[in-house]
Order: sequence, then C-alpha cells, then structure tokens
Amino acid sequence: MRSVILKGLMYSTILLFFACGESTDVVESGTYQGTIKEVEAEKTEIYVTTDDNKTLELYFTETTSLTRNGSEVDFSALEEGQKVEVEVEKVGQRLDPISVKIME
Amino acid sequence: MTEIPEFWRTEVYHPLSVHFPIVLLLMATLFKLIGLWSSRITWEQGGRFLLILGVIGVWIAVYTGDMADGIVSRELCDPTVLKDHENFAIITAWIFTAALGLELLTGYIDLFKTKTLSVILVLILFAGSGTLTYVGHLGAQLVYQQAAGVYVPSEDCAEFN
Repeated sequence: MRSVILKGLMYSTILLFFACGESTDVVESGTYQGTIKEVEAEKTEIYVTTDDNKTLELYFTETTSLTRNGSEVDFSALEEGQKVEVEVEKVGQRLDPISVKIME
Repeated sequence: MTEIPEFWRTEVYHPLSVHFPIVLLLMATLFKLIGLWSSRITWEQGGRFLLILGVIGVWIAVYTGDMADGIVSRELCDPTVLKDHENFAIITAWIFTAALGLELLTGYIDLFKTKTLSVILVLILFAGSGTLTYVGHLGAQLVYQQAAGVYVPSEDCAEFN
C-alpha cells in the first residue's frame, strides 16, 4: 500500500515536471504560415505552430491587424486549430505581430 | 508632461507577493534539514507549517505572475527570459506541492513515518530550493536588465516636480 502511494506520488511529480512549461521560438522578421495552438483571450495572445514546427508566442499590439477574407475581424474570431498567416517583426528577441490573417 | 503611473498597477502584485514564498520555502527546507538530526519537534512542525504557507504562497505568486505576464511581455526586449521564468516557476511550485504531499503523509500516517522518507523529503525540498533560486535569478534579470514592470522616470524628473 505504502509503495503504491509513493510510486503514484513520484510518477505524478515526474509527469507534471515534464508536462508543465511551454517552449517558444524566436524567428526572423517575415511572414509565416501555421496553425493556432492556443488562444489566450484575456492577454490578447496567441501561440502559432508554424509549418516548420516552431512555436511563436504573439502578443497583439494596438497596431496588429487581424483579418479574414480581407475584412477586419475581432480577436474573438480566433480559435485553436485555425490556419493563419502571420507577419511578424523581430524587435530584440520579441516578436511583434504586424498582421494576422485567418486562412479558413 | 509625463505623469507618474499609479503604484497599484496589475503588474506590481507579483513582486509584492513573490518574496513571501521564497523566504517561507527556503526556511521550510532549512527547518526540515535540521529536523533530520534534531529530536526537537519544533523543527519538524515548524518546517511543516512553513511548507504549507509557502506552497499556498507559491501558487499565489504563480497567479499574480500570470497576471503581470500579459502586461510586461509586450515591453520586454527578450520575452524568452520571461517564458523560462514562468516555466521554472510552475515546475518549482509542483516540486514543493509534491513535497507537501509527502510531508503530510510522513507527518500524519504511521505507515509513512520512516527515516528514509524524511531524507527523500529533504532532497525534494533541496531540489525545489535549487529551481526556486534559478526562478529568482531569472526574475531579477527581467527587472534589472529589461525593466519589467518598472516605470522609468524621464531624464529631467519633471513628473516629480
């Protein structure tokens, strides 16, 4: 009984250790296509997995344009799994999204 | 003229809350280490009390850190440091939470009251203290190298006149 509980505690800790945390990548300024991995509406932030499997963490700024079929849409239009094209500017090691186009 | 921002900004709650768990968890580790050798119950029970408060505090710090993240990330020159700070903070919180689980088992259930488990507990606490120190180092980098959440006064300090 004791060993079962201890093993459970140990494996849970190891699992949590590896499960938590999310690594992101820094890329050069440019345009990238990918899929939305996560949307954090409260922070107006999205994570995009690019086609070459990099994860971009993008915090929308006041000047970021978000469009679908050429029309401006609200941040709430973004959902996980959507295909997007993002244009980013690398400032230091920060990626500022200039535009985000919803492709579907 | 630039105005001095109000003090009680969302990003300020993190530095206000983060230093309590740092002290509580490091002291809990020290108390439990001394408790391995000392027969006085003060170290054992004191360590447990500090650990409980520290684990509550560390999750509050994670929460306030998440609140600050959405604001300061847009202003940092290297947000990857913030991401590492956040990831290691969550790992640290889980390590100490697991340590608290083991502490409660060893403290209240006779089946688990063994010297070996007490040693394992202290080792886990030391691992947590190590990651906690690294999290603090990254937090200091954010403040002192990138001015995260810090208002930088104008050169002539006109807003203070």
